[in-house]
Amino acid sequence: MSDAMLELAGLDVSYGSVAAVRNVSLEVGRGEVVGLIGPNGAGKSTTLHAIMGLVGVRGGEIRLAGASVRGRSPESVARSGISLVPEGRRIFADLTVEENLRLGLSGRRSQAGAADDIAAVHAQFPIVKEFAHRRAGVLSGGQQQQLAIARALVARPDVLLLDEPSLGLAPKIVDAVFAALAEIRERGITVLLVEQRAQRTVAFADRTYLMANGEIRMTMTPADAGDTDKMVAAYLS
Amino acid sequence: MTRRIPALEVLGPMLLVVLVGLLSTQVSLANEQYFLSALISVGMVVAVYVFVGNSGVLSFGQISFVAVGGFASGVMTIPVESKSGVLPELFPVLRDHTLGTIPSLGLAALVGGVLALVLGLPLMRLSGLAAGIATFAVLEITHNILREWTKIGPGATTLSLIPESDGALQPVIGVLIIIAIAYAYQRSRLGRLLRASREDAAAAAAVGVNVHRQRLFAFTLSGALAGLAGGIYVHILGSITADSVYLELTFLTLAMLVFGGATSLWGAVLGALVVSALDSFLSQAESGVNVGFELDLPQGTTLVILGVVMATMLILRPSGITGGREFSLPFGRRLAGRRPPAEEGTAP
Amino acid sequence: MNALGVIPFASINAQVIVDALGLGATYALMAVGIGLVFGVLRLVNFAYGQLIMAGAYTMAYTSDWPLVWSIAACFVVVIALSLAMERAVFRPLREQSPTVMLVTTFAISFVLQSIALLIDIRDDQIGEPVASLTSLNQSVSIAGVDVRKVSIVAVLVALAALGALALLLGRTEIGLRTRAAAADFRTARMLGVKANQVIALAVVLSGALAAAVAVILTVQQPFVTPDFALHDTIIVLVGVVVGGIDRLWTATLGGFVIGLTSGIVNGALPTDSTVYLPSVVMALVILVLLLRPAGLFARGRSSVVDRV
Repeated sequence: MSDAMLELAGLDVSYGSVAAVRNVSLEVGRGEVVGLIGPNGAGKSTTLHAIMGLVGVRGGEIRLAGASVRGRSPESVARSGISLVPEGRRIFADLTVEENLRLGLSGRRSQAGAADDIAAVHAQFPIVKEFAHRRAGVLSGGQQQQLAIARALVARPDVLLLDEPSLGLAPKIVDAVFAALAEIRERGITVLLVEQRAQRTVAFADRTYLMANGEIRMTMTPADAGDTDKMVAAYLS
Repeated sequence: MTRRIPALEVLGPMLLVVLVGLLSTQVSLANEQYFLSALISVGMVVAVYVFVGNSGVLSFGQISFVAVGGFASGVMTIPVESKSGVLPELFPVLRDHTLGTIPSLGLAALVGGVLALVLGLPLMRLSGLAAGIATFAVLEITHNILREWTKIGPGATTLSLIPESDGALQPVIGVLIIIAIAYAYQRSRLGRLLRASREDAAAAAAVGVNVHRQRLFAFTLSGALAGLAGGIYVHILGSITADSVYLELTFLTLAMLVFGGATSLWGAVLGALVVSALDSFLSQAESGVNVGFELDLPQGTTLVILGVVMATMLILRPSGITGGREFSLPFGRRLAGRRPPAEEGTAP
Repeated sequence: MNALGVIPFASINAQVIVDALGLGATYALMAVGIGLVFGVLRLVNFAYGQLIMAGAYTMAYTSDWPLVWSIAACFVVVIALSLAMERAVFRPLREQSPTVMLVTTFAISFVLQSIALLIDIRDDQIGEPVASLTSLNQSVSIAGVDVRKVSIVAVLVALAALGALALLLGRTEIGLRTRAAAADFRTARMLGVKANQVIALAVVLSGALAAAVAVILTVQQPFVTPDFALHDTIIVLVGVVVGGIDRLWTATLGGFVIGLTSGIVNGALPTDSTVYLPSVVMALVILVLLLRPAGLFARGRSSVVDRV
């Protein structure tokens, strides 16, 4: 399967002497949506941080379209075509919505066509346009999440990483987030989605990996989403 | 089986201090000064370590307590008959009484400790940069008052005519006492609680450690020891000025501490001695010294080299030459296993 | 300070206020220089005053050059030193604890002072005069008030520099990236903001401000010694932390206020009643820190200052 857009091979990450991610291998094919679920502390976020170059990697390989991005700085990973929507949104509260969006442009390889991409996210997330000149800090949680996704999209990434985008949002807003993800999938962007909402993620993604204790324990398909026993067993394993 | 010999951790530094004291008796009178000043540096750095090393909170203020202890001990030991001449404006109670050297050292420790307690009560609630700046403010205030208020001291002039202690015995004993107290404290329950809060103040507070109280205790103890060190200091030199116990000494003691390894007693002692040795050697070299060839550095090079060495050390190995470990014999370490005991671990 | 010590108590006149504004403006520039570097590196640079000192010595040693060249040399030297400091000291310290950072820049401050002493002492005298701009010490009469030219120049330079900085940070892409990096460095990098680029910008700007301050201070203190600007830097550092080092504008305001205050008090009080002034100021500083550890002008009570 050399068609993988994003490929992790035997990834090892540790904080001091504590192993956070152990020998994780996974692939996300071009245009595919892959989920990564598991309990708190399973190493899901650490995996995303390792891909992004935010934490050091002890062993293994990270490849984007076949080329290694391991050991690169976060800005260099971003510029090579991977965008992360971080946990907790990480919006710049003191900057305006428009400025937050413009920061996303720093991750582009070329500024050509930036206006079109901005227009596209404006179409997808009207509040980003409507509140362009407000301080981002005054937005609601759901609006901030839309801004965070929009900010990642204007970088025109090959791979979009999302770290718990539904965390702390009301059920109705969660629906909106998943609807946005569906639209992103339509546009052919490769997605690696880290989530706590297991059932929903398994149903949505083309394939979902379950992580526990820093390791990948099993792979699930949308068909497994209805199988409650399997889901429960997965979490308790 | 890991078997630690706790006493060894403190005996090592103490023996080293005794050795320096003995060496000082074997050299010319001119060179004796270098050894004695190295000893007193150990005393001051260990005093600073008791607070900064154990709590992990940076303080620029500990030299204030050295200053206060030094001036208290100095002023109170000048014979009454000379006092009215050199310090005419002194408060009568200070002018008309005099103390022996030993009681004056007790007074120095008391004054340092009480001042630290009073200041620490509000200040110990601060941490990080705010603590750094606030303790810096303490240093500025102490220096300002000592420099200007002639009712308690000499003001901007030099306080001299202080009885000088004879040889190395008094400083050695004094510094040994400081080291012993510092060690007893860090091994005690209180010391261990504070060291736990150094690694993670929030976690320590969560399990019921009163971080404020623990820091206050260490600050007060550190102030008392610094006062004592200041007392010993003036009796070695026979004189003191407000400017001599101010910024430069603050920098030097902190740099010595970090150079040696800020989180261990052994680091404090070794840092003070190594930097003092380097300082003495360079000062000698400025007036010409033979080290196989004739080395004659231009005036002022000492400070440059000393500063560069310290900065380099801080940048390349911020855990200091000891890596924050306590003293142990090379084979003892092997017996005790590869890892140092957790509480003596390196800085976070 | 400035020969105003003879003026009797409570004589806060227009002249004192203009001079105090000049001092406040100078300190505000220093505060911005310190705050910019803190913003992107979370590092308090104790050695900032030595950048100014180096600039002042450059002015002294080039005082027989045409004034413009002398000032240009001052900027070149200070900016180069600022960049060298970042490369050799700040960069290796990036992951270190605030304690190590502070003590190291403390050490660098002493190194630079000692090097200055070595260079200075070659003529067997400590200190070098700077005569380039002494004419600015003269007074001009504005609306019947005698005002020293340098105070006006300081205020104008500060306004111009702050205005230019506000434009740069507020209206350009690199400015936006720098603001983002100052707010959350990790997230900014994750979005593709180049760390070295924004750090270099902050360091160059901080150096340029130090050079401007060097030029202004050499007018007020036309005799340069190795401890030139040391005391001013300490006061500004205090002002910056008291104002709130987290944000550039609170830090700047802190620097300005402490400069203005000490200018007015120094100018209005006779010398023998200002000897304890440092103690009073420092006691106020402690009080402010106890009540508002994040800074006088900061929004919340706790902040990065508490955590670092």
